[in-house]
Amino acid sequence: MAIWRFDAIGTRWEIEGDLDGSDRSAVSEVIERFDREWSRFRDDSAVTRLGSVGGVLESADAAPMLDAYAALSSATAGAVNPLVGASLEALGYDAAYTLAAGAALAAPAAWSEVVAWNHQGLTASAPALIDVGALGKGRLVDLVFSALARVPGDLVVDAGGDMRVRGSSVRTALEHPFDATKAIGVVELQDAALCGSAINRRAWGDGLHHVLDARTGRPVRTWAATWALGAQAMRADAIATALFFDGGPALAADWGVEWVRMATDGKVERSAGWTGQLFTTRP
Amino acid sequence: MIRTNVPQSVRTASALVGVAGLFVLAGCSGAADAETDKGAGTDSSSSSSDSGSGTYADGTYTADGSYQTPETVESISVTLTLADGKVTDVEVTGDPQAPETEEYQSKFIDGIADEVVGVALDDLKVSRVSGSSLTSGGFNAAVESIKEQAAS
Repeated sequence: MAIWRFDAIGTRWEIEGDLDGSDRSAVSEVIERFDREWSRFRDDSAVTRLGSVGGVLESADAAPMLDAYAALSSATAGAVNPLVGASLEALGYDAAYTLAAGAALAAPAAWSEVVAWNHQGLTASAPALIDVGALGKGRLVDLVFSALARVPGDLVVDAGGDMRVRGSSVRTALEHPFDATKAIGVVELQDAALCGSAINRRAWGDGLHHVLDARTGRPVRTWAATWALGAQAMRADAIATALFFDGGPALAADWGVEWVRMATDGKVERSAGWTGQLFTTRP
Repeated sequence: MIRTNVPQSVRTASALVGVAGLFVLAGCSGAADAETDKGAGTDSSSSSSDSGSGTYADGTYTADGSYQTPETVESISVTLTLADGKVTDVEVTGDPQAPETEEYQSKFIDGIADEVVGVALDDLKVSRVSGSSLTSGGFNAAVESIKEQAAS
């Protein structure tokens, strides 16, 4: 099957399926719109504007994403927070990739008092730097997947390892977070989404990476990698983030998402319903 | 009074203990008149603003504390030795990197603490790989630039 590869939103995409020119145009439009609205790495994005002056961001994605953030924030006791943008910038993960870490900065705990949302979009009552990194890529995978609903046959939408598939089963490796030539397990995906998160890429110094605890503004250190498998990519992506904290497993159970996570010391845990194979000392 | 006579080694330890949030000196020598400091500030014990009028019995004191980090519940144990009213020895034990062992009991979690054994991707018939998202362009270039600066 044809594989269409391109770079967008800072990662490498692969779309496998019987796409024609208009399908590709539809995908490009969806990605461009999402990026223009939600990318913290663009000067001209709506999110960047909200970060400097506040105001309104019109987007149909606001309600699904912020509703999910509310659930994440509640489940993790505030460790996941959509206003973590300034915390990431404080550590150097900013639009210019300065990667010069300053003092850690906690995200505003009362984020839901600063940001309000409905089906039309969201409003920031004060300048607030939103970062949808906990689930935005999953949301975009779902949007692209929907845009390709009329493509016949098998379909794989893979955004740098976060993916959603339809049709034939896709055998997928769980990449070892400390050795990208190895896997810690494999899982068969069928009409499902799998999202992973790990601290090995998007890392720029000793203990500096992009998975932060919003309450402290510091990178996490207990869990090295997480994977979540569900019906939708956005929820799988969200759970993959939540699994870096206490409360992640409970939310996963609530949402019917199965998961695996690996600690920085090499131990792994999985949900009771995880069906994939794990390569461990006690298989 | 401990606060007025702390040598540097104690200041260092105090920062650690401060993280514990709850620092209670439990005298091993019975009803020690060690001060109980429940301040949760991260460096409350290293403050030197208090007067130096208090006295402590010489001896060895141990304090145990536990605290919730974003990801774990950590425990720590600190032992101080006092001689002539001054701290002469400090020992801090604990494993601040320990995974959240309590969590393993959770009903949502299966597969307790199995150790990973990586298998080479080349040996697996897989069509996809999932892990941390691949990075592209700008980020990788920025990291390379930093490495070069650090090396020069």
